[in-house]
Amino acid sequence: MQDTSGGFIFILLMSTHIDPGKVFVVIPAYNENTVIRSVIEGLLPFNYQLIIIDDGSENPLFPVIENLPVIFLRHPVNLGQGAALQTGIEYALSKKADYIVTFDADGQHNPGDIDNLLQPLLTKNYDITIGSRFMSATKSNMPQKRKFLLRFTRYINFLFTGLLLTDAYNGMRAMSGKAAEAIDIQETGMAHSTEILSKIRNRNLRFLEIPVNINYSSYSLKKGLTIWSGFRIFFEILLNKIFK
Amino acid sequence: MNGIQALLIGGVVIIFIYYISRFRSAFFDLLVLLFFSAAAILFISFPDYTNVIAKKLGVSRGADLLFYICILFFLFIIIKLFARIRRLEKKLTELVRQQAKDNAQLPEKSVNNNE
Repeated sequence: MQDTSGGFIFILLMSTHIDPGKVFVVIPAYNENTVIRSVIEGLLPFNYQLIIIDDGSENPLFPVIENLPVIFLRHPVNLGQGAALQTGIEYALSKKADYIVTFDADGQHNPGDIDNLLQPLLTKNYDITIGSRFMSATKSNMPQKRKFLLRFTRYINFLFTGLLLTDAYNGMRAMSGKAAEAIDIQETGMAHSTEILSKIRNRNLRFLEIPVNINYSSYSLKKGLTIWSGFRIFFEILLNKIFK
Repeated sequence: MNGIQALLIGGVVIIFIYYISRFRSAFFDLLVLLFFSAAAILFISFPDYTNVIAKKLGVSRGADLLFYICILFFLFIIIKLFARIRRLEKKLTELVRQQAKDNAQLPEKSVNNNE
């Protein structure tokens, strides 16, 4: 008789199964024509439902990804990342998504990390998981200036939200459909990250940070957070607090 | 009343009428505008009053007092405009979002399975 205990242990050790058809990955994209196709191709083997939101790119993204099995939405004008995310989330909710993942379109995120973000939602009833590049054991190629800026912004976020995360500006998150409904992003620009944290706190959502790897390329560094955009986000949050 | 006084008072009255006829905003806004318009007409008609009030408020010259009041007034206008822009942005976002969702391009397989 063949010993199958090894296989049984393997099954036990395997992560809890999630139906990928019920996981919607929302990818907001603005002028990402050069990288969007490779980002999508990296995600396709996982069989998640992919929603691409072209946030009014100057050259429409659709011709670049036309033959790929994705759901494509386009904002006729550029509204901002927060608005694009909410459009994708609302669409996913209308399709009865169990879980929604937000994923950057610039090739920084690792599709393999998605399952790590989903597991706590399924097995430990967390409402939302947030990726953290600073918890990852893998050595990152993050430039020192960027590292300092991100460390600084976590305290700014703490000031406005009361939540001190290790990485406040990570675009990779996973949330249950219920949490997505509760969060309902109103900030159209980059201040949506702070808004999400505020709503996590105000609506008593259970959250957890999960280590993720970020691949920095010269392309993604050009598009990421700069000192100037950091100041802009700060004033955006401040003004929006006054005029909410 | 000299020429410049008539011109400035006419300008203030026209702006006031234009504001209430076009925007018909909240009662508080109207009060603020009414106050500033009345003050403007008063100071234009009797420029010496500005010096008297300025001295009572601890400002050396009437012209300086007017300058400070102008700063406050422009701040009020900026705040009003910002709030209006936010409301417009919200409406625009809702419209654009609805259009994007209505015109979603679906792949041949995928979402239809979940509907």
